[in-house]
Amino acid sequence: MADNAYDKLKHSIRYWLLRKLPTCQQTVEKISQSMDRKLTLRERINLKLHIWICAWCQWYMEHLQFIRDTARAKGAESPDLSSTSAPTLSSEARERIKRKLAGES
Amino acid sequence: MSQAQATSDALSADAGRWLDEHGDYLFKYASFRLRDDTAAEDAVQETFLAALRAYEKFEGRGSERTWLVGILKHKIIDHFRKLEREAPIGEDVDEGPEHVEFFERTDQWVGHWNADRAPSDWHATPAELLERADFWNVFDDCLTPLPQRMVSAFTLREVDGLKSEEICEILSISVNNLWVMLHRARLHLRNCLEVNWFKHPH
Repeated sequence: MADNAYDKLKHSIRYWLLRKLPTCQQTVEKISQSMDRKLTLRERINLKLHIWICAWCQWYMEHLQFIRDTARAKGAESPDLSSTSAPTLSSEARERIKRKLAGES
Repeated sequence: MSQAQATSDALSADAGRWLDEHGDYLFKYASFRLRDDTAAEDAVQETFLAALRAYEKFEGRGSERTWLVGILKHKIIDHFRKLEREAPIGEDVDEGPEHVEFFERTDQWVGHWNADRAPSDWHATPAELLERADFWNVFDDCLTPLPQRMVSAFTLREVDGLKSEEICEILSISVNNLWVMLHRARLHLRNCLEVNWFKHPH
């Protein structure tokens, strides 16, 4: 009984907030900007509240961070880690660079 | 043998060794960022040439590879700069896909996620994807339809972690412009990765 009332209240608050807060479309733009600049206090509060009630935007934020972490790790990976899948200089490019270097030194 | 000749031979030997020891690594580093084999080969060649000219400044301080990567970073930025200079003038700036279809257009939920396009749980960690060549092919394919400038901005920010001001200077754009481009690139890439990778078990 109490649980039911609590759920109803939660649902009402959620619904009311979603109508009051910036939309998902506006929020994802702020999520992106939060990765490039410090948001204003108001923007931060709106974002926090929106994320609190919207699982989709919460995932969105996690995914952007996931993409950044993955891209950065890939860009910084050590050579021994990925000897197998690494693209390598073609033999033609290698020869061309060798000739060029011999001419310069 | 004159001293100049001896120095030149030593340099030449070093250059050959550089190519053997670091060539593939530098190429991989460059091709991940430039997404263009020819441009990556050029950047590697430019790096070795610059290293030869600056050899006395290095003098064996620190790791040779770190030194070479430091030079390569500049060559990659030079390439992004050059692409901007060579972009056709007068044409409307292509700001890339806006993807308004990801959101509801009508009814009371206008501007909220369209349930079919909304994010879902990825059940993945970055570490497990680093070695998956097939994932990186999808990643690369997802970036392909975006305008070059947008991809440059994305790479400089997300891969190299450059500050907004630095990227604006390299690409000759305003900071608001940059934020719009980064937002659109992320919106597009996130969806594309979800549809083409995370929704299917690998």
